[in-house]
This record gives sequence, structure tokens and C-alpha cells, in this order.
Amino acid sequence: MDEQRLPINDPTVAASKVASCSVEQQWVGRVAVVAVSGTVDLLTAPQLEQAIRAALDEKPAGLVIDFSDVEFLASAGMGVLVAVHDEVTPDMRFCVVAEGPSTSRPLKLVGIADLIKLYATRDEALSALSA
Amino acid sequence: MIDSVSCAGPDWPAADIGRFECIGVAAEAESASRIREEFAEWLQRFFDLDPIRSSDLVLAINEALANAAEFAYLSADSDRPKTMDLIARYDAGDARLTVTICDHGVWRMPAAASARARGRGIPLMRALSDRVTIETSTAGTRVCLQWDGVGP
Repeated sequence: MDEQRLPINDPTVAASKVASCSVEQQWVGRVAVVAVSGTVDLLTAPQLEQAIRAALDEKPAGLVIDFSDVEFLASAGMGVLVAVHDEVTPDMRFCVVAEGPSTSRPLKLVGIADLIKLYATRDEALSALSA
Repeated sequence: MIDSVSCAGPDWPAADIGRFECIGVAAEAESASRIREEFAEWLQRFFDLDPIRSSDLVLAINEALANAAEFAYLSADSDRPKTMDLIARYDAGDARLTVTICDHGVWRMPAAASARARGRGIPLMRALSDRVTIETSTAGTRVCLQWDGVGP
């Protein structure tokens, strides 16, 4: 039958099964864009937080977190967004780029979209921040 | 008819189109990620789900696993092995997928956690699933998530 028993505790199970995340810091004028790709979950959320911290250390005029290339966003990642929001606003303009079932949908479902501005594209986010 | 509430037992009908189980896995972030990725592949292989539904399922089970990994074993008391289980069963007759995530600890919220920055796992599970039950006892916590209208 179609039964699978997977040796999850077996270290030889492909490491590719573990989530990974990569984050880049990019600048548009004095606006820091933290561009994230891959998976933002319990395991990788600290990495996201660290990358945002590094961007904030550069004292940007605004902050955009771009989840356009994020395939999976868990509540651990959402918690980082809320914590950042609470810390930087209202003094600093802050928003998130997210679109699709795995990012903008859950953010809207738990009401984070009511707290933090979401934009479907980076261009829209940057326009809004400079408006 | 599969008893969708109990964890795996010896009497499962042989005619499931698919089952997926990870039993006695370390209750840690890394294993949660692995289980999630394997589960997502299993879903894709055996079921016909639109991208939204599929994404919802994977995120919902992730949140249950993450809660177990993060909160079930925070208190020092532990003779218990710090493990969690995920058991998925599909009932073709009802077109219903049931996923049960169990831990054997006691959920504790870390004192430092600020209410606003945390705590979205359960609301997410409720928003993403058709049915959620969470049962807590001294033996641990069992989260049961169900989805209807799931076709092969």
C-alpha cells in the first residue's frame, strides 16, 4: 500500500529536507530592503531577525521586508515582523512585500495586514514609502 | 471508517490510499521542518489540492509541530522523552484528511514572550483548517486538524 514511514531522526535523510532561508540587504536611497528567500519558520526566523537588526544598525530612513521569494512563512516569522513593527514605528516607515497563498494570505488571516502595510510588489512598497 | 481522533493503533483498515506518520521524532525546530517538507511532498503526490488549500494544510500542521517543538518541553521535569508525533490519515469515503500532532509534555509560555509578538499559531490553525481540536492532559497535548473535500 501507499504507506510511508520516514526515518526523520536518521541523519542520513537528505539535508535538503531541512528548511533554509537566505537574506540580502539592499538599499534604495536611504530605504533598506531586506530581501528574503526560501523558508521563514521556527528554525530560520532568528536569521531573519538578525538580518533586520543589521539593516537597522545602518539607520535607514525606511525599512521594507520583501517576501516576494519566500515559499513558506510560519508564525515564527510573523512574530518577527510584529516585533520589528513595534520597535521601529512610528518613527520609521516600515512595510512588507508579500503576495500569494503562502505569504500574504496567512498574514491577512491573522490580522497582521491590519497592523503592517502589505504590498504585492517591491515597486509599490518603495513608492508608498517615498510618498 | 477511520477513527479520526485516536493516534495510530493496530487496527487501521488496509485500504487507505495513503497514510503518513512520523512517530517519536525529536520535538525540535529542525525535525518540525523536515516533517513539514516530507508531508508537503506526500500531499502533492497523493492528493489533488489547489495551491491555496495545499499551502493552508502545510502551514497548519507546521504550527502544531512548532508549538510542540517550542513549548511542550520547556519545564525542567523530564523523564519523558522529548518527542512529538504526526499522524495523517485519509478517509476516501468522506474525502477527509485528518492530521493529529501529539506531544507528551506540558505547554508552557516563556515568561519573556510579549503577547503581541507571539501566539499566532493557534489562530492560524483555526483559520487554515476546517476543524481543530486541542486536547491537553497530564500525558501531553494532542492537536487534531481536519480538512474536508480532499480528493486524490
